[in-house]
Amino acid sequence: MSCASRDKEGGALRQALTAAALAAGLLSPALAQTPAEPKPQPAPAVKLAPPHIADIPNDDSGKQIMLGMRLLAETKKLLPDNVASALNCDSCHLGNGRVANASPYYGMAVNYPRYNARAGRPVTLIERINGCLLRSMNGQTIAVDSAEMKAMVAYLDWLSAGLPPHAKVEGAGVGKVDANLVPDAAHGKQLYDAKCAECHGSNGEGLKNAQGEFVVPPLWGDESFNIGAGMARTYTAAAFIKSNMPIGYGLNAPLGQGGALTDQEAVDIADYFTHQPRPDFPPKVNDWPKGGRPKDARY
Amino acid sequence: MARLARYCACLVLAATAARAEPPAADAVERGRYLARAADCVACHTAPGSAEFAGGLAMPTPLGRIYTTNITPDPETGTGSYSLADFSRALREGVAKGGRYLYPAMPFPSYAKISDADMQALYAYFQHGVAPVKQANRRSGIPFPLNFRFPLLFWDAMLRRGPFRPDPGRDARWNRGAYLVQGLGHCGTCHSPRTFTLHEKALTERDGPDFLAGAVINGWYAKNLRGDKDGLGRWSEADIVNFLKAGSTDRTAAFGDMAEVVQHSTQYLTDDDLAAVARYLKSLPPRAGEAAGLQAAAPAHEDVRRGKAWYDELCMTCHRGDGGGMARIFPALAGNDVVQTADATSLVHIVLSGGRRPRTQARPTAFAMPAFKTLNDREIAQIVSYIRTAWGNSASPVSAEQVAKMRATFNDAEAAR
Repeated sequence: MSCASRDKEGGALRQALTAAALAAGLLSPALAQTPAEPKPQPAPAVKLAPPHIADIPNDDSGKQIMLGMRLLAETKKLLPDNVASALNCDSCHLGNGRVANASPYYGMAVNYPRYNARAGRPVTLIERINGCLLRSMNGQTIAVDSAEMKAMVAYLDWLSAGLPPHAKVEGAGVGKVDANLVPDAAHGKQLYDAKCAECHGSNGEGLKNAQGEFVVPPLWGDESFNIGAGMARTYTAAAFIKSNMPIGYGLNAPLGQGGALTDQEAVDIADYFTHQPRPDFPPKVNDWPKGGRPKDARY
Repeated sequence: MARLARYCACLVLAATAARAEPPAADAVERGRYLARAADCVACHTAPGSAEFAGGLAMPTPLGRIYTTNITPDPETGTGSYSLADFSRALREGVAKGGRYLYPAMPFPSYAKISDADMQALYAYFQHGVAPVKQANRRSGIPFPLNFRFPLLFWDAMLRRGPFRPDPGRDARWNRGAYLVQGLGHCGTCHSPRTFTLHEKALTERDGPDFLAGAVINGWYAKNLRGDKDGLGRWSEADIVNFLKAGSTDRTAAFGDMAEVVQHSTQYLTDDDLAAVARYLKSLPPRAGEAAGLQAAAPAHEDVRRGKAWYDELCMTCHRGDGGGMARIFPALAGNDVVQTADATSLVHIVLSGGRRPRTQARPTAFAMPAFKTLNDREIAQIVSYIRTAWGNSASPVSAEQVAKMRATFNDAEAAR
């Protein structure tokens, strides 16, 4: 199959799904008039089908998109003043944000602004990016009108081009684990030592290459994400590692990720490593001003 | 008192003599070690079946053949073999009863096994392996090609002989030579063959074809000589690490070599591995032929798209600078395995993915996903990018070459 024909198919698929979504939207008022109690029909989820990097236009707009992609992948290196941890955006949004259940960027641009319980108000995409810089990267926000922010938004917009507003994407987020499972941190440590330490280090210190740059992010300590990050929450981290860790584990494209842990194992490991020492986040006092604090929040 | 001691000594001697029929336990154990060095299990065990009971299908140009039962079952295995029968099968490729073995059995290499090692192997296969009753399968080679007597002529063309040590070299080198040429039978995959399928060289004395690299089973078994795309840039320590742990800081075993490491080389002693490394590093570059390291730059648009595909599919593990993650994901920059003149292995692993060996030293067998849904042109762009980026300088690969290789691999899969 040629690249072009696949894209055509992908486009056709998206069109079909969009049509289906529109049809559902048109039908729902009719449904609402029926005597039975009205149930709003959720829009069908859209397949995760981001465009290919090879098809980024080879012009100035493409240059900006490519810059945005690089900033998200090499955030620490390219924005050293804004990133205090050793992480990049792509440390959690694996594979350029194109991968299911690895917190894909695909679909984000059409879902913001959206209500955020932690903030207690709707937040914009730019605020969301800056939130990640403050928490996961334990750093500083970047200016809304800076070339870097515009480039990151350009990449996110390009990824989601053609998606209907508020499209729900299959594989959005980090997957799920059973949040009723009771964590066993001691077992989590055993599992961590056996299954995670080879890459992330016995002390969660991550792994550097010969040039001293991190190639595997640290999971705790001064150079890791702070206590305000989503990844500091046990069940969020558990879902992420169950879906994605380790990468290069199976023959499944694109990353060979996941398939190594049960829900309970993931919860145990997550409880162990999220509760290791990590930077504080003083503005945490402003979080969840209207309630809705999740049970695994760290404060 | 002295008489009592003498009496006890006699008892011990008598006991030893009585056990002489079933050999001393250490001979069996030594045989077990040698059988691992020879990787007998790789071919003589079918998936999901008993160890050494045979039955593994091996595709050949003439049809499928099946490996034989080498457990000591007297009826279906080698239980009735004398040491002489056993030795003749291993060294000359003639089974008990005079039947010629197909040369999938590396008897040209095993001819170099010493008498002492042959006895230990015999002890192990008679007394250290559980007998399994499992009849050998007939080959799928059709009549009249299934007559085996022409193998006599094949055999007659073979330059076969016992191991000849080189007195000008030290003991470690000679030990390495013995292991590589004999038990290890490295040349079975790594030496090119003539049109009659004879290995062009069986020892370093036979010239620069020895271990100069060859395509087998859809993989390019790399050049193990001193060339830049051979082992020229490997240290002896790299070779030891690779054979023991399945990976080095730069590269990892994949394809059929992953199984060799997993079943065989990881069990070799450090001394034996050091000997293998010493010997391999003594092989000079293949004379006369330029190594694969010459760049005819791919077209600009192919480079751009190749890099984009790389960023999309490869970068998370192999990193943007091609540096990989030491001992976890292989580096591609400066890795001679991706710069061989023959790109078969590189294309194959992109299509089929692969798994690193599971070893005692590195128990997590990391894997690479299969990207067979990419089309030929896309794979050519990625592979060409990898072969020319970051200072790598191997020739680019065309979509036509990828198409040809894909068809070969598909045929090989179908034949399994």
